[in-house]
Amino acid sequence: MDWKQIANEPWIWISGAILSAIALYQCTYFMIRALNIMKRCGLQRRDIISIIRGSVITSFGPVMSEIFIMIALVMALSAGFAWQREGAAVGSVFTELVQASNAAVGAGQEFGGKNFDMKGFANVVFVMNVSCIGWLIAAGFFTRYLGAARNKIAGGDIRWLSILTVCATLGVFGYWASSSLVRGGGITVAVIAGGILSMFFFLLADWIKKPGLKEWALGLAMFGGMIIGKLYAG
Amino acid sequence: MEAAKKFAAIDPQVYENEFSKPIHKVGMITCGLAIIGMFLPPVWLYLQYGVFPPISAIMVGMGLALTYAVPFFIIEPISYYPTLGDAGTYMSFLAGNISNMRLPCAAVAQSVAGVEEGTKEGELIATVGIAISIWLSIIAVFIGAVATGFFVQFFPAWLQDAFKKFLLPAVFGAVFGQFALRGMKYAPIALVLALVPLFLKWKAYVVIPIAVFGTIIIGRFIYQATKKSA
Repeated sequence: MDWKQIANEPWIWISGAILSAIALYQCTYFMIRALNIMKRCGLQRRDIISIIRGSVITSFGPVMSEIFIMIALVMALSAGFAWQREGAAVGSVFTELVQASNAAVGAGQEFGGKNFDMKGFANVVFVMNVSCIGWLIAAGFFTRYLGAARNKIAGGDIRWLSILTVCATLGVFGYWASSSLVRGGGITVAVIAGGILSMFFFLLADWIKKPGLKEWALGLAMFGGMIIGKLYAG
Repeated sequence: MEAAKKFAAIDPQVYENEFSKPIHKVGMITCGLAIIGMFLPPVWLYLQYGVFPPISAIMVGMGLALTYAVPFFIIEPISYYPTLGDAGTYMSFLAGNISNMRLPCAAVAQSVAGVEEGTKEGELIATVGIAISIWLSIIAVFIGAVATGFFVQFFPAWLQDAFKKFLLPAVFGAVFGQFALRGMKYAPIALVLALVPLFLKWKAYVVIPIAVFGTIIIGRFIYQATKKSA
């Protein structure tokens, strides 16, 4: 059986639904607890409605851009896999794609390449799911200690923490961007165009003072780079 | 702001017994269940289709994935904690999309209610804001996945070809560009550390750790040098 077909069978949809159900149970339980205390402290129904309305409005833009970007995951893997990983998981679509590429390397294959087969797919399923457990361990077992840990680990230097994450991301995406850069033709053009468009949209959002544009910047750059690469290659 | 005036001070004992304790308990259990749930797809794939990757492939794949992810396991929960609070941290790291959805929703909810982050009131309000955003995003992602999965088959052949060949390079370029803006000093280092071994035809599982850890180490030197001269 072809891996693309297996990747969209009920098993993956159900796996995604189970994770989503856990997330929905958790957030509903927490919300009910919070609302009960807030009501007892005098928060009115209309105030609660204002909070809910604000959250819905704030979520709308990111949710729409998430669905727009999710097309990439649907095309690269499958709709079922996109649901399993994005319904309630940890990584963004971009993280997922780079982890899928890492997993394929582990199987000695190129993600989405001609040699990508069932062995590569099985490794992608394993690595993408299991490699994100660290976030759940950190949240599940260490949340109560995070306040103290923040001060200790940073050694009082919180700014270095954010620079460290930037360096780690630049390192991994620097590798994957470079590996595309050296391939030549439309692929080189796509990676350069994606980079330039991304920087352009992020800067544009600041220049025209439209922070909402940043939610769409990566998606627009991704599709723009892809189309430019294709047009160049013919 | 009107809401803040009506929000009476919360009794610390009530907060501890009726919010903190139960959310730590349920948070730990649900995150534990999600950890087990992460093993479900590979196990199910094996049980139903008899497919499981070779151990060597898992080791190399996990090694590369963790090279990238491990710094985030530690740094992200610590960085986001002040805004998210306890309940928000459990929810956000289970549901994902933290920086683009959970954090803004927590901040907006706190702003609407006129409460400050880091306070008990702020945490309760952020909890409601984040929970609503999780419901919305899970429903929307499900509809989006089903609809996208249906519509992609109607994409013209040239577009399907573009997705197949040029999407990933464009993604890598776009994310690199985004983070280059946040660390212009560090971006060329990452590129050089990746490009040189690539030209030498070194394997990916060697080059990725060099690029990640090399950029972090050199970044640390640059950061300290800049700090001293400032």
